[in-house]
Amino acid sequence: MKRILAWLGVVVVVLAAAGFVAFLYFIPPFTLVKPEEFSRPMGTAGPDLTKISDPTERMLAERGHYLVTLGSCSDCHSTPGPQGPRIGDMYLAGGFKATRKGHGTYVSSNLTSDQATGIGSWTDEDLKRVLRSGQSPDGTSVPGHLMPWPAYSHLTDEDLHAIVVYLRRTAPIVHAIPKATEASFTDPTAYEEDYAGVDYAAPPK
Amino acid sequence: MKRSVLLLLAAVWLPVCAAAQTPAPRPNAGMLYWVRCASCHGIEGKGDGEYAGLLSPRPRDFTTGRYKFRTTETGSLPTDEDLARSITDGLHGSSMPGWRGVLSAEQVQALVEQVKSFSPRFASEQPRPIAMGPEPPSTPQAIEAGRGVYEKLKCAACHGTDGRGASAIARDLKDDWGRPTRATNLDEPWAFRGGSGVRDIFLRFRTGMNGTPMPSFIDAASESELWQLASYVKSIGRKPLWEMKGDEVAAFYRARDEEDRKDPVKRGEYIANISGCVQCHSPYREDNTMIEELKLAGGQRFRITPFGDFVAYNLTSDKETGLGDWTDEQIKTFVTTGVRRDGSRMLPFPMPWPNFAHMSASDLDALVAFLRSLPPVSNRIPPPQAPNIFSYLAGKFRMLILHEDQPLYMFPGNAGSWTDGARP
Repeated sequence: MKRILAWLGVVVVVLAAAGFVAFLYFIPPFTLVKPEEFSRPMGTAGPDLTKISDPTERMLAERGHYLVTLGSCSDCHSTPGPQGPRIGDMYLAGGFKATRKGHGTYVSSNLTSDQATGIGSWTDEDLKRVLRSGQSPDGTSVPGHLMPWPAYSHLTDEDLHAIVVYLRRTAPIVHAIPKATEASFTDPTAYEEDYAGVDYAAPPK
Repeated sequence: MKRSVLLLLAAVWLPVCAAAQTPAPRPNAGMLYWVRCASCHGIEGKGDGEYAGLLSPRPRDFTTGRYKFRTTETGSLPTDEDLARSITDGLHGSSMPGWRGVLSAEQVQALVEQVKSFSPRFASEQPRPIAMGPEPPSTPQAIEAGRGVYEKLKCAACHGTDGRGASAIARDLKDDWGRPTRATNLDEPWAFRGGSGVRDIFLRFRTGMNGTPMPSFIDAASESELWQLASYVKSIGRKPLWEMKGDEVAAFYRARDEEDRKDPVKRGEYIANISGCVQCHSPYREDNTMIEELKLAGGQRFRITPFGDFVAYNLTSDKETGLGDWTDEQIKTFVTTGVRRDGSRMLPFPMPWPNFAHMSASDLDALVAFLRSLPPVSNRIPPPQAPNIFSYLAGKFRMLILHEDQPLYMFPGNAGSWTDGARP
C-alpha cells in the first residue's frame, strides 16, 4: 500500500514538472494583449491633452506627444512589467535596463513631471541638452548607443521645444531610479579625480 | 606616554595639513579629453568618435586645424579664446553642448591645449586675429543697405533669395572632407552654430567658415558693408515657435506640412533620423563606431531574452537583400503593423512598430520616399534566431514567474553577408 502511494507520489511530481515545462513552453509571451492591439495603448497613453485649455500649449503638446511616440521614448522609459512596458500605469516612469558591451548596464530615468524623482526640477535647457548630447546637468553622461541621443540630436529646436512642453504635462509618478553602478563611466567626474595628476603619454584605450 | 600620543597625533596630522594645502593638481588634459570629447571627436581627434557617423553636423576633425568659428583671418588658426568660447558656450543647434558649469576654466584651458596638440600646425603657425572696429548700430537704413550687399555678394546662390535656400542655385555643396553639406537656413537664427548676434554673424562673413564652402568676403566687400549685411541677415530671422500664440502655431505647422510635401525625401530623412531608423539599422564595430559603408543597410544584432536574436533589416534599395522589390504598401504595412510580406507578424520589438502605427500618412509617405532614394547596398540579413529550448524555458520562467525584466543586448559587428572587400 505504502509503496503504491510512493509511486503515485513520484508520478504526480513528474507529471506536474512536465506540465509546468509544457506550460512554460506553450504559454504565449503576452497573455493579456493580442499582437494586433499592441499599438492601441500608445494612442491613449500619457496625459489627456484635450483638457489643456490654452490652445497654443495644446497644439505644442500634441506635437510633442507625436514626437515622443515616434521616438519610442516610452518603450525604454516606461517601467517594465511581465507584459512589456507598463504603458497604462507607469508611462515614462523609468526603470528599464539596457546593456551594451563596452558601456555596461544603464537604467532608464523617470521622465514624468515629478519634482523629486522625475524631471520636474530640470530646466527646459537641461532637457534639450540631454536630448542633443546625452549630457545631464549634473555632469554625468549617458552613452548614445543606449539612450539614442545621436538620433534625437537631429530634432529641430522647435520640435525639441514641443517635446519639453509635452513632458511637462505628464502626470507626476513617484518612482526613484537607482543610479547605474555597473558602468564606471556613469560619473566621469569621479573618474577624473582618480586619475588627477597622472600623466599619460597617450590616453588609455 | 602622553608625549608619544602627541607625537603620534602630530605624525598623522601634519601630513594631512600639508596635503590639504597643496594646490589642486593640474587637470589631466588627456583623461579629460578622453572622458568628455573622444566619444564624438575620436581618441586621436580625427572627428571619428563612436557617434560621428550619426551626427549632423559631424564632429570637428582637429588634425587639420581648420575651424569654422574664429576671430582670425581666413585660413588662419583660431585663437585660444576662440576654442575656449566654443567649448564653454557650445555650438547652438548641434550636439556640441556648452560646458559652462560642468568644466572649470582651468579644465577648459587644458582641453584647448589638448585640442591644439592634435594638429601640427599649432606648433609652426601663429593665429592672425582680424582687426575690426566697434559694432555700428543696426538701423533700418543699414538693413536696407545690407539687402543690396546680399545681392552684390550673390549670397542667394547658396542661401536662396529668401535665405531659406528655396531658390538656391548651388545645392550639391561639399565640405573639405568631401561630405555633403547644406547652406545654413538664415530664417532660423537660433540655430546659427556660432551665435545669432550681429557681431557673430559679421564674423562669419569676415573670417569665412574654414572647412566649409562659406568663404571670407573681406576682399569682395568693405567692412562696413559686411556690418550692413550682418544687420540684414539678422533681420531675416522669423519668429520662433516658442514665441508664437494660438493661430500662429496652427499656421506654422500647416506651412511646414506644405513645405514637406514639396521635398518628401528631406522630410523622410528627418523622420528616419529622429525615430531611430538610422541608428538601429546600421552596424557598429567593436569600438562602437559605425561601419559607414553599411549606413541603413542593417546588420546590427539585438538579443531579447527569451525570444532570441533579431538582426536589423537592410533598408537600402537593393533588389536582392534590401527593400528594392518591396512595394510601398508592403513597407508601410510592415512599419505600422509589423506584418511581413509572408503574412507573419514580428514581435513588438526590437522594432517598435506599435509606436510607428501612429505615424501620420504624410510622414509615412515621406519615409518611403527617403528609403527609395538610398543607393543599393548588398547585405543579406539572416532571419531571427530562436534560443535553444533550455534558455528559452529559463528565460520564460524568469519573465513570467519571477517577473524579472530582461535587459536588451546589442552586439557589435555586421551580422549580414556584407564583408569588407567583398564589394568593389
